[in-house]
Amino acid sequence: MLLEVQNLSVSYDTATILHDVNIKVDDMELVGLVGPNGAGKTTLLRAITGLVKWERDHKRGLRQGKIRMEGTVHFMGERIDHLPAHEIVQRGLVHCPERRRPFMEMTVYENLLAGAYLLNGKRSEFKELLEGIYHLFPVLKVRAKQVSGTLSGGEQQMLAIGRALMLRPKLLCIDEPSIGLAPIVKRDLFHRIGEIARSGITILLVEQDVAMTFAMASRNYILSHGRLVSEGTSQQLMQDEGIRKSYLGL
Amino acid sequence: MFPYLIRKLFRDFQGEILALPTRTIVFLACIGLLILPLFTKNPYLLRVLTLTGIFAIYAASWDLLAGITGQVSFGHALFFGVAAYTSALLNLHLGLPPVLTIPLGALAAVVAGLVLGLPGLRLKGPYFSLASLALPTIMMGLVFTFPQFTGGELGISGITRLSTSRIGEYYIILIMTMGLALAMWKMATSKTGLIFHAIREDEIAVRASGLNTSRYKMLAFCTSGLFAGLAGGLYAHFMRVVGPSTLEIVMSLQIVVWTIFGGIATIYGPIIGVFILFPMMEYLRVVAELRMLIFAAIVVITLRLMPEGLTTWVQDLLERECPRCKERNAFTRANCRVCGTGLDPGPNTNIWKRGA
Amino acid sequence: MWEQILVNGLISGGKYALLAMGFALIYGVARIMNLSHTAYYMLAAYLIYYLNQSLAVPLPLAYLLAILVVLVIGVTTYHYLVAPVREQFTAVLIVTLVMAIVVQEIIFIFFGGHFRSLPPLIPGTTTLAGIKITYQHLLTLATVLVTLTGIWLLLFKTRLGIAIRAMAMDREVANLMGMPESRIALVTVAISVGLAAISGAMVAPLLILDPLMWMHPLVVVMAAVILGGLGSIKGSILGAFILAFAEIMLVFTLPKLAYLRGSVSMAVMLAVLLIRPEGLFGIFMEGER
Repeated sequence: MLLEVQNLSVSYDTATILHDVNIKVDDMELVGLVGPNGAGKTTLLRAITGLVKWERDHKRGLRQGKIRMEGTVHFMGERIDHLPAHEIVQRGLVHCPERRRPFMEMTVYENLLAGAYLLNGKRSEFKELLEGIYHLFPVLKVRAKQVSGTLSGGEQQMLAIGRALMLRPKLLCIDEPSIGLAPIVKRDLFHRIGEIARSGITILLVEQDVAMTFAMASRNYILSHGRLVSEGTSQQLMQDEGIRKSYLGL
Repeated sequence: MFPYLIRKLFRDFQGEILALPTRTIVFLACIGLLILPLFTKNPYLLRVLTLTGIFAIYAASWDLLAGITGQVSFGHALFFGVAAYTSALLNLHLGLPPVLTIPLGALAAVVAGLVLGLPGLRLKGPYFSLASLALPTIMMGLVFTFPQFTGGELGISGITRLSTSRIGEYYIILIMTMGLALAMWKMATSKTGLIFHAIREDEIAVRASGLNTSRYKMLAFCTSGLFAGLAGGLYAHFMRVVGPSTLEIVMSLQIVVWTIFGGIATIYGPIIGVFILFPMMEYLRVVAELRMLIFAAIVVITLRLMPEGLTTWVQDLLERECPRCKERNAFTRANCRVCGTGLDPGPNTNIWKRGA
Repeated sequence: MWEQILVNGLISGGKYALLAMGFALIYGVARIMNLSHTAYYMLAAYLIYYLNQSLAVPLPLAYLLAILVVLVIGVTTYHYLVAPVREQFTAVLIVTLVMAIVVQEIIFIFFGGHFRSLPPLIPGTTTLAGIKITYQHLLTLATVLVTLTGIWLLLFKTRLGIAIRAMAMDREVANLMGMPESRIALVTVAISVGLAAISGAMVAPLLILDPLMWMHPLVVVMAAVILGGLGSIKGSILGAFILAFAEIMLVFTLPKLAYLRGSVSMAVMLAVLLIRPEGLFGIFMEGER
């Protein structure tokens, strides 16, 4: 078992965002996590990768509400829910954040360099990874010297994924890669994500586009109002009348 | 009629003041300050307390703008200085009495509030905080550039006294402090005050609720300017000399210390903060060399122990909030005094409800 | 006169640029508005004075020692006083302000309020391209240039620099890249205090020292940072030079209005901000409303 989340609950002040969520991701899987707006998908990822904890410890500004997080998260058999975000990354659990968030003022190349922070300046490995990323996303090579804030949405998403790949992930969590992208760009992007999965990286894909996710993922979780409402392979879920009605519009 | 009014007054007094320990403390402190001159005529003590009153108004006015409305201005000295200079000039050149110069000075500060509001509407967060440093600095430059008019570095002296006696001045300023503090507190807890709080928390949400936030922010700037201006005018007539020190950056920043020490976004917090810190600073003059160090140590240690400020800490200690109607109750009560709901006997942790 | 404006503008701009860059770095990486920043600058200048005039330490050594001592003081106070309250914006303001006032008071106790001045490191003047210039000015200019270049290289060419800039742009994502936040914050504080100390040391012989000399630069530095846009390092440098030249121009062209120099730079800042509320190179900080 690569990732195991047990009874995870997160609440911001009085609002509970996640109730007792249990999730498992196995080696070499591509797991989809779908659900409507505000279901808590992003919060789940943030809780797994340590950002909720970071937020709790670092953003208690003046009279902000209390953030509570309960439950356990295990990654490759090790309990990680008490670790700070930057140490979780070192173990190979990498989070590609929502809305892409490249370092806006840096060039594309510098963004990839920032992603390579943990390589500790090992030139040859960096070169190798860079080649791989440029091979997967050729457009990044073309744009290497361009400031990332000026890229298009699709290019920024590719950059964000490329930057995450620099961290040599064992499990890559991608948060809403398709948000704000044109359908054709989206299809191309999902195709690349499939390629990454085939190259041996386990992927946890958080998405709103249920149909496309089901087409790619081997297993899926559906999250709604902070609770897991169902899980199973795409075929199983597609057969469920309720899910087809509410998520696929069929 | 009269007996009824007196009875009602007494009932209100019992229900609104005696019911809450913190309010009782404040009430007793007010009474103590009012009868103090009966016991001591020490001019130094009276002078320190009078100045404390002036700065209390000034600090509370900052809290109205920064704490309640969330426009953390580092240029609050603008209001104080503009009003002080206006009052002084009107008094000196036109010979107007303090009754007129102080309101006119405050009016000038309201205009200054409009000017500070211009960047205030456009800039957000730290951008506004740092940009607001600009206006007092600009004013300061003007003061030095026209020394024949403003007295330059030495300032303007020879301003009329507020009252012929020290005790008269003490009473005028202290009663004004109490009145203005009450006015600011009422404003902060009124419906307008609620909107101010909401603007601090989430301006976009307030806008989305159909309220013109620009207008409310301008209102906050102007009222804050008005109160700070009154303090400035009082200062001019009490000190009888107005110099560039009223516009200095320290003047803007020390209220930040007072307010946060006392408890920000409460109105009474900064007032109590000033009443503790200002006299303390004065009396620490005995150990002139070390006084800043002692002051620094006290402030830093207090903030470590009570990060929300002194008053909030005391309030949480002595009172707890009804879980149902959100009314505050003395810690001794087992049931809410309004709705009768049982109160949680544990230590109070909810510090959300303010100024009620 | 124009060459005077150029030389003095460059020196003053360089001083402000070093200070503003440090201020911007700390704000960017740790979200700390360090009101004691220019107090370190003053402390460095006074320490040189003390070491040289009272203990008769030779000047170059005094410079080195002063910068080191300030560095140690800055990092220690950050670690023990500021870091524990870092998340609370208002507490940080108070602690750093109180620190600045403490430095000021200590200087009052040791040196009194008198004006003091330092001898130049290298006395004498030279003529350069027709401009008469003292060696001290030349040296200051060179130091500013070298330091700025050094920091530039550090920020843009090293792993640490990338991490610092990433942190300044988006703290959350920087965390996700495996950058240890508190350690990088500490290093940044050291760099920032070091810049303040170098800047104080370099301009010390050109200035008259008094215990209130931290206030005006603090205001200008904050204005420069905000003018350039929070979070942008090149913005803060540019802002510093713009404000410095605005001040120097006024002082040299209209000497009668010299008192307005602070006002002019503030007015420039306000004008820019009214047109561009996020500053010249300000970036929209996502995830931080």
